[in-house]
Amino acid sequence: MRNGKFSYLCTVMNERRPTRTWLPTLLILLAGMLLFVLNLIVGSVSVPLSEFWAVVTGGGDETYRTIILEYRLPQAITALFAGIGLSISGLLMQTLFRNPLADPSILGISSGASLGVAIVVLLTGKLSGMAVSAMPGWSTVGVTIAAFAGAFLVLLLILALSSRLKSMVSLILVGIMIAYIAGSVTDVLKFFSQKEDVHTFVIWGFGSFSNVGKSQLGYLAATISLGVILSFLLSKSLNLLLLGDRYAENLGLNLRRASLLTILVSGFLMAVITAFCGPIAFIGLAVPHLARFTYHTSNHFVLTPATAVIGMDLALLCNLIARLPGFDGNLPINSVTALIGAPIVIYVIFHRQKVLSK
Amino acid sequence: MKEVLRTLGLEIGYKGNALMPPIDAALHEGEAVALVGANGSGKTTLFKTLTGNLKPIGGNVELCGKPPAEYTPNERAKRFSLVLTEKPDDLFLRVFDIVAAGRYPHSGLMAKLHDEDYSMIQAKLQIIGIEPLIDRDFVSLSDGEKQKVMIAKALVQDTPIIYMDEPTAFLDYPSKVELMLLIDRLAKEEHKTILYSSHDLELLMKHASTMWVVAKGKPLLSGTPKELDQEIESYLNIHKP
Repeated sequence: MRNGKFSYLCTVMNERRPTRTWLPTLLILLAGMLLFVLNLIVGSVSVPLSEFWAVVTGGGDETYRTIILEYRLPQAITALFAGIGLSISGLLMQTLFRNPLADPSILGISSGASLGVAIVVLLTGKLSGMAVSAMPGWSTVGVTIAAFAGAFLVLLLILALSSRLKSMVSLILVGIMIAYIAGSVTDVLKFFSQKEDVHTFVIWGFGSFSNVGKSQLGYLAATISLGVILSFLLSKSLNLLLLGDRYAENLGLNLRRASLLTILVSGFLMAVITAFCGPIAFIGLAVPHLARFTYHTSNHFVLTPATAVIGMDLALLCNLIARLPGFDGNLPINSVTALIGAPIVIYVIFHRQKVLSK
Repeated sequence: MKEVLRTLGLEIGYKGNALMPPIDAALHEGEAVALVGANGSGKTTLFKTLTGNLKPIGGNVELCGKPPAEYTPNERAKRFSLVLTEKPDDLFLRVFDIVAAGRYPHSGLMAKLHDEDYSMIQAKLQIIGIEPLIDRDFVSLSDGEKQKVMIAKALVQDTPIIYMDEPTAFLDYPSKVELMLLIDRLAKEEHKTILYSSHDLELLMKHASTMWVVAKGKPLLSGTPKELDQEIESYLNIHKP
């Protein structure tokens, strides 16, 4: 005991923690800013730093202005918000199911979005007899609405079923089955569709941060911010869920309500992002683990903001890699997220095994 | 002694089939009661009924004067705490996180802890003797240490009643004895009412202060090990060769 009644606790809680929290936070935020700027200047056309600065201060060459402000800025902002939303959505799923390999796609929500897009892209093409992509009215807005409708229908279905299912494992299995059903209907639609339409659909499935126009950016930012705020407000419930259902309930948690809210918020984030960017894998799965390892905590009051900022960094990094000069245009974002995310997940599995067998 | 729990003609079981005759029993402040019985005799069913997770098929449970199901979840969380055989398995949960969760029913939406909460956590950790573990990862502890952390959580929850499900299971013999003594001490010095189930009959006959013995179809038997010494073996159908 040094001084005071609970000096030992103070030492542990107040003195040791900040260094563990503030240094990584600072580095993550600095990396985020750097990645954001790199996202604006690196690409098939490289923007010199002096020109970049001129554009930022309101002047600069007209071509560079267009490239940066019309194309790269919306793309970087989309990547930033999608990264935050996907990661938070994954964190909620991993905590709710107490499964380190849960991710937002586990409940079939992204498959629902795919089905929605498939119906719009493939079926309308089939019915009207011409490829949708060739139609003058074709727009990303239609796809966005279709994806959101599909994802939200699956989300409602899951919510309705979750109140009838007793265990979370059953819910996962039902989610996987819903994904299979949506997938097989999608396949049937693909089978009967024209080549050009299938191509359009496959391209959508690759995922992209470049489909969100300037006018839609506000919706994306607002809805994801709302989801992030709600998930932060769920932190207390999530911390309790980590202890196991029976302890959580004994500590005053209304299990059913907490589970429903968690599924609703996570599903909502997933639905919004899939609608705007297509199904993007691995970010939601890998980032919560990076946050846990970096901050060495499971406390959601720390973990939720940490997951958000790391998710932002990782999405910006993936977008940057997909757009590196030499790749000539955009690589599918999903191939980049998988290349980076899958090794992280493999590491997590081995680490888990090591710690638990000690 | 203040009465904290009473059962009035309580019939427990599933689908209308009572496991045993109606139970009329009470738990008082400062009392540690061991619940003994073979697997399938109704220990878990009794626990679930007392905590309000299972409806009685007859009679009543009165937890501090009201049936457990009539409390809101948060009110219930302030009446009894649980120590279970299953333990949290998240790799990044520290001892502090788990013990501090005991204050959650007493905290707001942001779960902010105040000085009183910290000093309470500190005090309860000292009572149980696990203060040095505060910053350790929970998964890295031994079974005995984990058990103590969960008991610290229950103390910090600050409830009159603590239910423990087989707290001595998976422990080596010295740890079992230590835990029995701890349970007794918490009842007497912290004025807790503790109901715990156990299979360690010999240990209980030596160290338990009061026992409830259950067997399928028979009325609940209660008393000190000394009082029960003669009848317990025939009651539990233990035949010595």
